[in-house]
Amino acid sequence: MSTLHSKKAAAALKNVDKITRHDQTFWLMRGKRDLMEHKLPEWESLREHASEIKRHTATHLAQYLEQFSKNLEDNGVIVHWAEDAREFNQTVLEILQQHGVKKLVKSKSMLTEECELNPYLEAQGIHVVETDLGERILQLLDEKPSHIVVPAIHVTREEVGELFEREGISKEIGNYDPTYLTQCARHSLRNDFMDADAGLTGCNFGVAETGDIVVCTNEGNADMSTSVPKLHIAVMGLEKIVPDYRSLAVFQRLLCRSATGQPSTTYTSHFRKARPGGEMHVVIVDNGRSDMIANDEHWQTLKCIRCGACMNTCPVYRRSTGYSYSYFIPGPIGINLGMFKSPQQHSGNLSACSLCLSCDNVCPTKVAPGSQVYAWRQSLSGLGLANSTKKLISNGMGMLFYNPSLFSMSLKFAPIVNHLPRFLVYHGLNDWGKGREMPVFASESFEQMWKKGKVK
Amino acid sequence: MKKEDLFEKLKRNTHVRCDMPDMNMVGIVYDDPLAQFCEMVVAVGGKVAVLGDGEDVNEAIKRLYPDAKVFASNLPEITIATLNPDTVAEAQDLNGTDVGILRGELGVAENACVWVPQTMKEKAVMFISEELVLLLDRNKLVHNMHEAYTKIAMNDYGYGCFISGPSKTADIEQALVMGAQAARGVTVVLT
Repeated sequence: MSTLHSKKAAAALKNVDKITRHDQTFWLMRGKRDLMEHKLPEWESLREHASEIKRHTATHLAQYLEQFSKNLEDNGVIVHWAEDAREFNQTVLEILQQHGVKKLVKSKSMLTEECELNPYLEAQGIHVVETDLGERILQLLDEKPSHIVVPAIHVTREEVGELFEREGISKEIGNYDPTYLTQCARHSLRNDFMDADAGLTGCNFGVAETGDIVVCTNEGNADMSTSVPKLHIAVMGLEKIVPDYRSLAVFQRLLCRSATGQPSTTYTSHFRKARPGGEMHVVIVDNGRSDMIANDEHWQTLKCIRCGACMNTCPVYRRSTGYSYSYFIPGPIGINLGMFKSPQQHSGNLSACSLCLSCDNVCPTKVAPGSQVYAWRQSLSGLGLANSTKKLISNGMGMLFYNPSLFSMSLKFAPIVNHLPRFLVYHGLNDWGKGREMPVFASESFEQMWKKGKVK
Repeated sequence: MKKEDLFEKLKRNTHVRCDMPDMNMVGIVYDDPLAQFCEMVVAVGGKVAVLGDGEDVNEAIKRLYPDAKVFASNLPEITIATLNPDTVAEAQDLNGTDVGILRGELGVAENACVWVPQTMKEKAVMFISEELVLLLDRNKLVHNMHEAYTKIAMNDYGYGCFISGPSKTADIEQALVMGAQAARGVTVVLT
């Protein structure tokens, strides 16, 4: 009955020190988020507004995308539309090739992870440099993000130090101080910013009314990537659209507070036009999003603003790490997005939820990822993906509970289990006995006690 | 993909229509927005300096950064500037700037954000400088982002940024480090 997630989580849990630090790190982030929440009396009103604005926007996407793209074009920005990952990668490559780009500096974008842009461009001879420190570390390690906001959280300072020594980024052998290592990366990346031919950024919010591309970073790497090279390519999933500045204010206030517990990211950058003498392109990507809106039970997953708060609070994520999930976005929201992408491939992640629904309560746009996981589980049987053992057990339980005489007879004999030798109770066929103790059956049932007048 | 096809598909696949909420948002209001703003600047890793009565802004900046040699600014009142982001040939020429001096148009008390629209040819000065000085009129403060977004305006350069403190990262073991890729330090000089 073990899913891929539970097997990988079991492996991750073997390194007690590492998993304990992982758990504590994210619980600390959750704590910082709570401090931010408590400073704003309007917090719940903000969440409700964010949810309603997103509900409205997601159900009027065509209208807002039309307005947005018209404003972009009026501002001289070149707009591209991509149906899927293949078209997206081709479009970016074409723009780069038209400008003879050899080196591309890039700020963090989960969309480019989704479409696997980097390996595609590199196969075509483009030198891609990630400029967010965490992403840069992972790129050099040839690893994937384990979290959407703090992607290299699973890497220790010693591992970063040794990596930077190997890459010639750090000169002081054995110096694993995070401040020192960050400064080494700063010097190295500064050189990349200076001679890159183009900069690529993601997009946190696209403002329909003005045509602004809004990017939020703490490092300033999106701005460095677009202030030195003359060519800027911004890429966005089509759900990133918001109607206007009044809506944007709501999301700007929620995003960073929910993500890292800061009152704002250091930089909230608004790109409306190309820099003087430069060119700005925006690639708007569908890649399955237009199908998500048609799912009457799950379309509100489109409201997600990728803050990562659901991961930080999730007791399963914190104790299993991002690498235990089969989809590239982990945690509660990743479980849901994976189900949209491919239930066949990613339904195992549905086991990574205790239904505590803490994620529902911290989500700034009320996606309710935990409740959505519950709903996906109900659909597994229809998708032909229900676990056969569980199905057998629940069919058996159904028979038992719908048949009163069978039920009371079973209950009468159940206490016998208490006296059976362990090997008869705890074995491969009894999944309930794995990793936990079975409950002790009462010698007398409630019904028997009631009839004897023992219950007052 | 043709955008018309996408719009058509989106319309076809959308089964409900939800209304916009009432947007008369009431954001937090502070008794003393100036004190709150200053507190937040420090909380996000920045510094606040207040221009003394009759003090020249150039003198104040030199006092704040006694070791700095390369100052970049296009503001007419900054006479100590050794580089001008309007007249440098390339953005790269601004690399090596010790202190970049910019004019902020609006400060936000809730999160120390300062709205800095691009007013120079090379906006690299906003990020490439080791240290940033943001000149801000102390009367141009708002309580929260709802107010801020009703007041900011984009000029013809078509770029603007809310800056809240220095560039920072916690990507290595969540240890907070100032000076990731952009300015290592920010001083908001209240005028």
